[in-house]
Parts: sequence; structure tokens; C-alpha cells
Amino acid sequence: MADAETNLIEGLSEHSQSYWQKAWQRFRRHPFARWAGSFLIILYLLALFADFVAPYPEAKSFRKLQFVEPTKVYYTADGHLSRPYVCKVVRTRNKHTFKLEFKQDCSAHYPIYFIVHGYPYKFLGFIPMDLHLLGGPWLVEEKAQLFLWGTDDFGRDLFSRIWFGARISLTIGILASLVALIIGVIMGAVSGFYAGQKTHLVRGVFHLPTREEWRLSGGAALLRLVSGSELARGFGEARRERQLPLFLLGLLVQYALWGGGIYILWITMQGYMQVSKGLEHVIAQGIFMLLMLYMIWQLLFGRVQIDADDLVMRSTEVLAAIPSLFLLIILSGILAKYDISSSMRFMLVLIILSFVGWGGLARTVRSLVLQLREMDYAQAARALGAKDFRVLFRHIIPGALGYLIVVVSLTIPGYILAESGLSFLGLGIQEPSSSWGLLLSKAQQGGISALRDRQWLFIPGLFIFASILAYNYLGDALRDALDPRAEH
Amino acid sequence: MTAYIIRRFFHLIPTFLGATFLAFLIIQLAPGDFVTRLELDPSFNHAQIENLRRIYGLDQPFTVQYAKWLSGFLKGYLGVSLSYQTGVWEVLKPRMLNSMVLVVLSIIFIYSFSIPIGIYSALRQYSWGDRFWTTVAFIGMAIPNFFFALLMLYFALYLKDKFGHEIFPIGGMRSLYIAGMDFSAAPKWRQWLDILWHAVLPVIVAGTAGTAGLTRVMRTQMLENKMQDYVRTARAKGLAERVVVYKHILRNAIIPIVASIGFLLPDLFGGAGFVEVVMGWPGLTPMLLEALFSIDVYIIMGSISVTIVLLMIGNLLSDLLLAWVDPRIRYS
Repeated sequence: MADAETNLIEGLSEHSQSYWQKAWQRFRRHPFARWAGSFLIILYLLALFADFVAPYPEAKSFRKLQFVEPTKVYYTADGHLSRPYVCKVVRTRNKHTFKLEFKQDCSAHYPIYFIVHGYPYKFLGFIPMDLHLLGGPWLVEEKAQLFLWGTDDFGRDLFSRIWFGARISLTIGILASLVALIIGVIMGAVSGFYAGQKTHLVRGVFHLPTREEWRLSGGAALLRLVSGSELARGFGEARRERQLPLFLLGLLVQYALWGGGIYILWITMQGYMQVSKGLEHVIAQGIFMLLMLYMIWQLLFGRVQIDADDLVMRSTEVLAAIPSLFLLIILSGILAKYDISSSMRFMLVLIILSFVGWGGLARTVRSLVLQLREMDYAQAARALGAKDFRVLFRHIIPGALGYLIVVVSLTIPGYILAESGLSFLGLGIQEPSSSWGLLLSKAQQGGISALRDRQWLFIPGLFIFASILAYNYLGDALRDALDPRAEH
Repeated sequence: MTAYIIRRFFHLIPTFLGATFLAFLIIQLAPGDFVTRLELDPSFNHAQIENLRRIYGLDQPFTVQYAKWLSGFLKGYLGVSLSYQTGVWEVLKPRMLNSMVLVVLSIIFIYSFSIPIGIYSALRQYSWGDRFWTTVAFIGMAIPNFFFALLMLYFALYLKDKFGHEIFPIGGMRSLYIAGMDFSAAPKWRQWLDILWHAVLPVIVAGTAGTAGLTRVMRTQMLENKMQDYVRTARAKGLAERVVVYKHILRNAIIPIVASIGFLLPDLFGGAGFVEVVMGWPGLTPMLLEALFSIDVYIIMGSISVTIVLLMIGNLLSDLLLAWVDPRIRYS
């Protein structure tokens, strides 16, 4: 009842509200989502200002200070409240167990200053700066160290590396889902728009007479087979419509494809025949011959009609047939063997993630387009003479915009998870770059029992968990706000 | 029905061919092959290396290699592992069974927790219990498998430190000794019990995400069906509340849950993969990682193709189950 009443009032109210205003109102009803949103904004800001927040540069390592526990920050000296300070960490070897131990030497105090000069860096990659959130002159002079969250296996400051890692871990999710969205929208839109319509893509050289034509005039049909070939007809048509270059290009691509196919098949057959024998030899020869004949037939007389919808959907099925973790692992495991720079590696992981992930989006977009193309406004646009491309991308896709935003916000956490998983397995982002998954993988090093003494190595995992949780809450609220029809 | 199954089967063939070909193509992207790292080994000369390539068929065009592999697969032969120097199937089989133990137990875990919790949450919507389970579900969906697995290991370690003996095993799949006996010498039921004991924590980790997701689906479905007209009719007839909930609402709400097995399985294989790696469970994924490291083509192809076949069987089974649960579905 209450719902109906508010709807009524909304309808009668003097100032009308746009879709986005209403969406914002609905969004504001979710307190968790607002916290999650603020949390994510803070995280992104910290990632952007990582150079400033981190006391140390990304790759700064202290070879002798491996797996040092978080530096204790003291607030009192001689019973009085004082400026927070740290003590120097000294490495000693235990005389009885021969284990390395780290002890604090509090003979000198090293006070922590805020917004202080430290290691130089380039803000945003080009503005030279040396201001840091925390530090002191002793930090650069390496008299003492400030490891708020301990160090990793190379003696690098985990606190600093988490913020540098945030840059990769947080952006790769967004970028990968955007790339996957672009592929998914194009594929899904084409697939949904042309569903049920076969596209005439490939035509053979000759036109084979149909039974109808044979019946009407056998001789003329035979003549057409030889002289009035499909090719010649298409050529004439293209010249009349002044699309000759396009026609020739299409022809070239088509013959290159068929020719390539036949060539590959020929090579395969030759190689295969050398190593097979007996019945297998005979059967394989038969299959290869049939395939070859089919291809040649298609090249000469065929009119292969390709259903774009079918093609896209089959591809997504193929991708979905392999569990996505296995696909991710083999792709990145194989490509991780190449020695490439860290920015290239980032791109590679991005491409792999979106390649594996576009299928689901394409399916969603397809079902949306199937619905929307029957809408009145899409029909109206077509009636006004708009081309397919315009109808699709100016009318249908904008109609699905809210829904697409929801879908993207729900897929981002999956990509963050996938990237950290890959990096955790050592197949994603590689040293010396930093990513949360890679940082968490250090917790595994030194055996399971080492975990007992190195609890601070769990911190990157908390960050992965918290950001995925925040994105989930955000996505849930966005779904309520932008897609009011959906159930929740 | 039989006709439907046969049609489904034929529909799966091109997908299978496409997926295995894609996997084969990806492996070809690698720089070098299995023999490449031997080139640095001074005990091999050039001729020997070329000879090895010829023996393994690595000098052939990759389409030939694929055709060979495919014809072998059709005959039930998965090739030879280059690094283990035995048949792929011998290497693969125990690993696959280990993974299956984890996956099957996880499925049981997921369904035996998500359905009751979903029902509870829907029947007491917005109660404290519902809020609690909703929060747990959100956490369960957000926690990365590998992180959760590490936490569980830490938990097992903590319990061991606290009680002086292992309440839960710290990684692995079986104990070396059972009650003083060698594992293989122990009676079968004790072996199984030991594996089950080892599986407790891995199954919790592998099943959590699925449980959390399905709990939400179950809750939504129950809430939706609660509002339907037929429920009001059932109540108006004077049926007991228990009958209304379990014979009418639940019967309809459970249909999408059954259908979800198909979506759940691939994720479960993936989720279990991380658990296997972190918790030292000797399943498919650790072997796959190893094989990728050495580009052991046929082990990679074997594990991928066997997984694809398993998933396809799983999907088919879930379809059959769906037909059994939902008599409205007609296959014509």
C-alpha cells in the first residue's frame, strides 16, 4: 500500500525527476553501499597518492632485514607523552638456535614527522617531488627503518608496497571489465540484433543451378554455370553500385581464408599420414578427403551463409566449456614464459582477463538486445530509415545503459579476484612490480609453520577481501537503483 | 527424453572440438617447447635434441599434433607425459580422483547448508537471524579462496599450538601413518576416514563462495514464491503451515537451485584449484601448474579435456535432474 501511495505522490509531484535523480534517491537508501563507496574512493585516492603515502619507493629493499615484524611505534618516553617515535631494528643471530632474530635498540629515538621530505619521486609520473606523509631525515639516511606493516622476503616495506600494489589491483579490475564490456557489447549486440537473420558472407566462384532452374531450362542453367558465374554477377553488381574495392577486398579475404584452410588441412593430412597406420590410416584418410572435398566444393559452388548470432554464441560456449581458472592458468602460464617489461605484463594480464571474461557479458547483452530491438522506439528508428549501426548503438544500447552499469559493477570484483589469484600463483603481475595477490603469496613462503611468526603478511589479503566486499555492496545497491525491475 | 540426450550429445561435439583446439592453440603460443630447456644442458648435443623432438612429434606442424592427439583421445589414449615418461592417464587418474573427492564433497556441503539457511532466512525475513546469515553470505562471497585457505591453515596451526595435537590436519590429503600403521597398510575404512578428516577444511574453503551465493538465490526464490496465488490457495484450503512451506513453496523454489549445478561446477573446479594449491591437496591444479612450467603438452591437454568431459557430464546430469524435479519441462 505504502508503495502505491508514494508512487502516486511521485507521479503528482510538481517537479518531475529524471531517471538518474530517482536512481540516486534509491541508491541513497543503502547505508552500507554509501560506506562501501566512500571506502573505495579513499582506497583509490591512496593508490593515486601512493608515492606520497608510502615512506619508501616501490622497489626499495633492505637485504638484511627480511621478514622483519612491524616496527613498534612508541608514544611515551620516560613516562611522558611524546611525539611518536620508533627504535632501530638490529639483526642478531641467536647463539643457541642459530636463527636470525631482530631486536630493538632503543638507545636512540627516531621521531616520526608528518608531511616531510624523503625519497624523491615523480608525482603522476612527471612532477618531481619528495614530500611524504610519514618519515624523518633518519629514514632516508637509513639510520632506522619505519616498517609499519613489516617487510617481505626481500626486506621491502609492506606498507609502502600495499599502496603501490593497490594501483594495479584496483585498476586492473575496472579496466578488464571495461575491455570485456566493449567486446561483450559489440559481440552481444551483433549477435542479438542479427539473431535469426543469416548473413551472406561467402559465395563460391560458380553459381550452381537450383532444381527449379534445371527444370525450367536445363541447357540455359548449364550455360550459366560456366559463363554467368556468381563471381561475374557479383562483380557487375559491385561495379554498378560503385563498391568495387569493397567487393574485391571481400573476395580476397574469402579466398585467402578458404585457401589457407585447404593448405592447413593438406599439411595436416600429410604429416598425419606419415605417423598413422592400419585402420586408423584408412579412416583418417577418408575423413581428411571428405573435409578437403567439402572445402573445395564450397570454394567453387558454395554459398556459405554465416549466422553471426550462431557464431558468437558458439564461441562463448567454447570459452565456457573450459573452467575459467584453468583457461586463465594455461593462458598466463604459457605467456608468463616471455620476458617482458612490467607495463607490458600489466597489459597482458588485462587482455587475458577480458578475453576469458567477455562471454558472459555477451550473453547478457544479447538477451537484452533481443528484447529491446522489438521496442517501439527501435522500430520507429528503423522506420525512419536509420541504418543498423545507428539503431543499435544510438537507440538500443543507450536503452540498456543502466543495466550495463549494474552488470559491470558486479563483474569488477570478479576481475580483482582473478588478478590477485593469478598473481598469487605467480602467473600474473611479477616482481619487482607489486600487486595484492603477489604480496599475499609471500605468506606461503617459508612453509606453513612460518605463518605463525609472520602474521603481518596476511594484510594484503585483507585488502583484497575488503575491496571485493565493498564492490559487492556497491553493485547490489546500484542494481536496486538502476534496475528497479530486478528482484533482490 | 532419449532423443533429447542424444541431441544434446551431438551438440556438445563441436564445443568439445573448439575448446580442446583452443587449449592446444594456447599451448603453441609458448616460446619453445618441452625440449627447449634441454638445449642448455651440455649433456645433450644438437642431434639428440632434434631426435627427441622427432620422437615426441614436436617437429610436426601443430595441426598434425592436434589431429594425432584427437585421434588418440577418441581411442581413449591421452598420450605420453614428457616429464613423467609414462602414460598421461596413469599420471592423471589419481589426481583427478583426488579433485573429484574435493568437488563432490563441496557440492554436498553447499547444498546441505545453503538450502536450509535460505529457507530459514526467507521464513524469518529481516529477523536477526536473517541479517546474520545475510552478512555471512556477503563475507563468504567476498573472501578470496586462496586467502581463506591460508587463514584456515593458520587456524589449524593455532589449534595445534593450543591443544598440543592436530585437531585439523595442516594441509595435505592423507596422513603418513594411521594408528601406527603405514597408510596403505591400514584398513580401507580408516583410509577413507583419514581422507575425510583431511578434507574438512579444504571443503569448507572450496564450498563457501558457492554456499553464500546459493543461500541468496534460495532466499529470493522462497520469498518470491511465498507471494504467489497458489500459496494463498493452499493456505485457504486450510493446509498446515508445514505442508504449505515444504510441499508447495519449497517444491517450486528449489527448481533454479537444481538448475544452478551447471553454473556451479566450473566455479567449483576453479575454487577447488586454489585450495589444492594452498592446502597441499594433490589434485589436478597443482599438476597442471607443474605441467605448464615444463610445457608438458599432453598432461595439459589431458587435464583440460578430462575436465571438459566431466563438466559436460555434470551439465547433462543437472539437466536430467531438472527434468525430474520440474515436470513442466518438455523435451521435444
